[in-house]
Amino acid sequence: MNELSDKIKYWNPYIGGALLGVLLFLSFFITGHGLGASGGVNRIAVAVQDMVVPEHVDKSPYLAAMAGGDVDPLRHWIVLEVVGVMIGGFASGLLRNRVRLQTYHGPQITPRTRWAFAFAGGILMGYGARLARGCTSGQALSGGAVLSVGSWAFMFAVFAGGYALAWFVRRLWQPGE
Amino acid sequence: MAPFDLTATLGVTGSYLVYLGIGFGFGFILESSGFGDSRKLAAQFYFRELRVLKVMFTAIVVAMLLVFWASALGLLDYADIMVKETWLWPGIVGGLIMGVGFILGGYCPGTSLVSVATLKVDGMFFLLGHVVGVLAFGETVGYINEFWNSSYMGRFILPELFGLDIGVVVFLVVCLALAMFLGFGWIQRLIYGRGDPE
Amino acid sequence: MNALFNPRVLGAGFLLAAAGVLALYGQPDLEQKWAFMAPEYASRLEFREVYIDPAELLRLINDDYIELVIYDVRDERDWNIFHLADSERIDLKNLPTQRKRLRGLSELGVVVVVSNDEILATRAWKQLMALAKPNVYILEGGINHWLNIYGVVDEEHEHGTASLARPDGTLRHPFKLALGARHAAARPDEHLVPHREYTEKVKLLKKVKKAGGCD
Repeated sequence: MNELSDKIKYWNPYIGGALLGVLLFLSFFITGHGLGASGGVNRIAVAVQDMVVPEHVDKSPYLAAMAGGDVDPLRHWIVLEVVGVMIGGFASGLLRNRVRLQTYHGPQITPRTRWAFAFAGGILMGYGARLARGCTSGQALSGGAVLSVGSWAFMFAVFAGGYALAWFVRRLWQPGE
Repeated sequence: MAPFDLTATLGVTGSYLVYLGIGFGFGFILESSGFGDSRKLAAQFYFRELRVLKVMFTAIVVAMLLVFWASALGLLDYADIMVKETWLWPGIVGGLIMGVGFILGGYCPGTSLVSVATLKVDGMFFLLGHVVGVLAFGETVGYINEFWNSSYMGRFILPELFGLDIGVVVFLVVCLALAMFLGFGWIQRLIYGRGDPE
Repeated sequence: MNALFNPRVLGAGFLLAAAGVLALYGQPDLEQKWAFMAPEYASRLEFREVYIDPAELLRLINDDYIELVIYDVRDERDWNIFHLADSERIDLKNLPTQRKRLRGLSELGVVVVVSNDEILATRAWKQLMALAKPNVYILEGGINHWLNIYGVVDEEHEHGTASLARPDGTLRHPFKLALGARHAAARPDEHLVPHREYTEKVKLLKKVKKAGGCD
């Protein structure tokens, strides 16, 4: 997994960023709002929850707002977008032969360890995204581009949180010292 | 003037196709930029690779310029587009939690989708964790309801915060992004003696 | 010299230039937004589609089902002398504060703008359209016309007929006292006023349901 050779195959980040910026603008122009991701995962999770324990969903005001009674949590643009993201990611990977069952992990740890931390990180991400009412795609990118104060504060908090902890968990990612 | 009412123009199915298309573009660009790889994402926090910073801020700056130029030319009504409302402290605390989740998990929600789409097992574990986290929030939100709904400031934008014109803030944001590219690059060279492997 | 044509430097320069020019060009205010909208909506003014007869306004006032908002955009002095009982006074420059409220109006929402003649009200109409595109109309002939029809002869008000021929934005009915909304004409009793024929122009808007909001 030589980083340098991988790099040659990926787009220049400035170009990728510029294209993403154009897409984000088109999203605002055509639909009136930006991009999103965590909201979609959230709604799918709630939809499943609604199938399994509908009475519980109806009783919680937070859940009921999305899926109470007849309300279908999946009838929302962000769910469609999340599906699109997966298809698009797959298409890009397929085109470049990057669709492969494997685990990306830092050189100092095993895949198993990586899985455990990925799961743990995912839990925090899922929880944090709901608390912040968005994730890096929705809040930071979209909210940031249209100058929302909350989005910028959020963005800096994410970077701060990541950088603050990075040194302590460097074994997860850094090559051997 | 944009934005237009999508459902009225294209019908519900049509509008859903548009969202699928937008999502497709989003996922495609993310994967093409290497964001399906957790190692590249995490490398940002060690200054080893500045991909995340560059893609994010370039995207924000480009989108921002396009949005406000379109607004200036009467093509798009800024008042009609969705600006994420501000709940200041839940946003900051949630952001900190997500920062920790980012460095532990190696993904953010959007990139994890791309990772799963290319069959990366660590992405799958992350997404599973994400679902658990989301459900956990749903079950416990009752206890933190007051906090979750605190510090609501509505549609609060940077120009209002600083008392500056939109155009001035846009310019300052561009300057900030460029300064960050330069600054982070300088730190990177300091630590590793090289710039981003291009 | 090479450094100058480095693509990164050029890119950065381009972004700064784009932002700089944008800052100088500025964002549109309500008057400019109206200018962008005018081709599509100006005909409503030209063909008098949004000017409603005082009798129609009276009907709206007495209609219990609609959500009626009457904006009176005249100055305080005229407001204090006479204004419609169900109206609220607002200066043109404060119209932007109404955006949220106007967006929140239901399908049954109707907005009517009122001034002495039609001059100020028409300007307000344009700005409200640029602000939120509400279901908004203008009182035809303004307060002067209203009082011609519903003004009564009494001690406080020397009833005359104000000429509508040369509208100059002034209140041309003589009042001995400033009565505000206490005058009988501020809320005419629809059962007592003479019947008046008019062309109905107010239509209720169908609110389109959007496929979900932000999150």
